[in-house]
Amino acid sequence: MANNRSNSQDYTVPLRQLLLVVVSLVLISVFLVWRIDSPRVERFRAQVTDRIVPNFDWVMAPVTGTINLFRDYQSYQRIAEQNQELRRELRKMQSWKEAALQLEQENARLLDLNHVRLDPRLTFITGVVLADSGSPFRQSVLLNVGARDGLVDGWATMDGIGLVGRISGVAQNTSRVILLTDASSRIPATIQPSGQRAIIAGDNTAAPPLDFIENPDLVRPGDRVVSSGDGGVFPAGLVIGQVAADPGGRLRVRLAADYERLEFLRVLRSYTAEPVTNTAQILAPGLAANDATETAGTVADE
Amino acid sequence: MMPQKPRAPSRMNEYQTSRVWFMRLCFVILALTTLFMHLLPLSTLPSAWAMPDLLLGFAFAWSVRRPDFVPVILLAAVLLLSDLLLQRPPGLWAVLILLCCENLKLRAQSLRAANFVIEWTSVAALIFGAMVIYRLIMAILLIEQPSLGLHLIQTAMTILSYPAVVFITHAFMGVRKSVPGDLETSGGRL
Repeated sequence: MANNRSNSQDYTVPLRQLLLVVVSLVLISVFLVWRIDSPRVERFRAQVTDRIVPNFDWVMAPVTGTINLFRDYQSYQRIAEQNQELRRELRKMQSWKEAALQLEQENARLLDLNHVRLDPRLTFITGVVLADSGSPFRQSVLLNVGARDGLVDGWATMDGIGLVGRISGVAQNTSRVILLTDASSRIPATIQPSGQRAIIAGDNTAAPPLDFIENPDLVRPGDRVVSSGDGGVFPAGLVIGQVAADPGGRLRVRLAADYERLEFLRVLRSYTAEPVTNTAQILAPGLAANDATETAGTVADE
Repeated sequence: MMPQKPRAPSRMNEYQTSRVWFMRLCFVILALTTLFMHLLPLSTLPSAWAMPDLLLGFAFAWSVRRPDFVPVILLAAVLLLSDLLLQRPPGLWAVLILLCCENLKLRAQSLRAANFVIEWTSVAALIFGAMVIYRLIMAILLIEQPSLGLHLIQTAMTILSYPAVVFITHAFMGVRKSVPGDLETSGGRL
């Protein structure tokens, strides 16, 4: 067996090893370049994703649909029970609806009195979720809208109800949304009604913890959490969720957005925020700190 | 394309060359399918457990069985692509797994002769070793690491799923340990 091959092996084995060394070096250098200049490689990554993932779309949508259908089927089994529950909730909702209508009329009257003009530029683009991050360690989704639709890094993304995440990485036809649950996500928020400021720091769990609360004593479970608009990251006042305390006593946010099924997301156009020229500030928080000190330094110099 | 051999290439040889290329294509399709499965947006909630890294299992199983179906360049390209699509630091995991596969290919002859438990143990050792080195390098270069618990779960799942992967490879894809007759064309080519 070995004799048969010895002829050809004589020259191919060293060649093979050389090839292995070269290929390994190429891969290592890709990694090092990524470490040194991550924004450039991340842009490359976004372009590769842009090329490949939309091609899967035609088969991805039916497969996802079918699997979801089967999952739904399981919930059909307790449909009678659910029906009862829904009726009870509906009755409750109707009373709320009345209240809401009254408040709406009152609000309209008050706005009219004040001649308030809502910012017409705060509009949104709706995108469909193409794919998730594909890895259990990262929480992000890929949308089918991108630079073609005028998306810009840093814009806020919502589902119908609450904040979902922010755009980070825009390619021609796709863009990536880093969800609030991702370990690298940090969003400034305000807790109502106490008005305390906090940072929502994702930690790869379903309910991200609240960090840097000024006075935790004033915050109670059940309080509303909205985006604060600090640092020009997001428009202020977007609903994020409710405060909840975990068994350890740590305050977390129960997110208002339905994270179980993210299908259609709204990307809020926001021109009020400073344009993010340096992608590094979004991709790697560590770099952002450096840049901040650098710009502070240059301002001081001037 | 074929290097000039002392023997005239027979029709059998040609058939086997085309089969090798066909199986390489199959590997690419397999890799794209597993990536596709990972990317399906089924649940966007963070989960407490992790899917096994099936691509890794297939790469190892094929490397042990038929090294000629998974040449270095193909493996490197597929692994780098999966790094890029699955939001890992590009290149690092790819190079570690590539080296593991090459190590398995070097030992393929003896592993083919040995029974499955030995193969499984050595694959498990490689997967675990790759994970430890991966985390070590990320720690040294101050890169944000995936959570240890989840990473351990994923590694364990990959190791546990290896027999199933081997079974699928063997039964449905017909990638078997080569018998002496096959070696003529495939053997040493890149």
